[in-house]
Amino acid sequence: MIIKLSQRLLGPVTLALLALTFWLGLWVTPPDKVQGDLVRLLYVHPAIAWVALYVSFGTSVIASCLYLWKRTRSATMDRIGYCAMEVSAIFLALTLITGSIWGRPTWGVWWAWDARLTSTAILLVFALGYLALRRANDDPELRARRSAVFAIIAAINVPIDHFSVDWWHTLHQGATVFTENGNFLVHGSMLVTLFVSLFAFTLLFFWLLRARYRLEVKRDVFYVASLDEALAQRRREGVH
Amino acid sequence: MGYVAAGYSFAFGGLALYALSIWWRGRRVGR
Repeated sequence: MIIKLSQRLLGPVTLALLALTFWLGLWVTPPDKVQGDLVRLLYVHPAIAWVALYVSFGTSVIASCLYLWKRTRSATMDRIGYCAMEVSAIFLALTLITGSIWGRPTWGVWWAWDARLTSTAILLVFALGYLALRRANDDPELRARRSAVFAIIAAINVPIDHFSVDWWHTLHQGATVFTENGNFLVHGSMLVTLFVSLFAFTLLFFWLLRARYRLEVKRDVFYVASLDEALAQRRREGVH
Repeated sequence: MGYVAAGYSFAFGGLALYALSIWWRGRRVGR
């Protein structure tokens, strides 16, 4: 009952929160003292990066681990791993694009070979590589196993990406929401908008994953049905 | 403000296009 209700409400709540982010980010929050209106991009870029790096990539890696573990191995885990990786690739591309649009007026360049930017770009290449690997094999089991292993190997880059701003001197800033003591560096409507956007884009990920998963199930059902139809046709033709 | 408009357009527009692609691919299954 609760699961059904939450599934039904997922879409409308996500859209409402995204609209709220849009309104708060563009009209309600004040311009920043240093960045001016450019700060408005920071209600979108960090939330997209959060989903790309941790939520969607993380979901894909967890599903891949569960697929490789015999007790939890199932087509469901394989599909979740695949669908979450596809969503991650979209979010990673948008992370780089929105970051670049913010970087041009702030840093003076569209792109820099900075540790954070480069490791995020590498993660996007890994995500695209995963999607290519899915198309390289028609045997479902072999494809699922290979892509699960690939996702886990690619995940090594996630902590490197996360800690890159601490390990190297980067153009990209370090943590800017919390201090080392856990106090907030952002306040008022800016902080509220930041959290609303994080929540909205996280819900959007689950909504997109659900839609993408349903598409994958539909494709699998059609594939099996068309295979059965082809076999039946061959039998009618007298081929055994 | 041009950079802000571009950033929001890419973010929201890109995600809307992706959602549309899922719906479109769903319609094409079996055709």
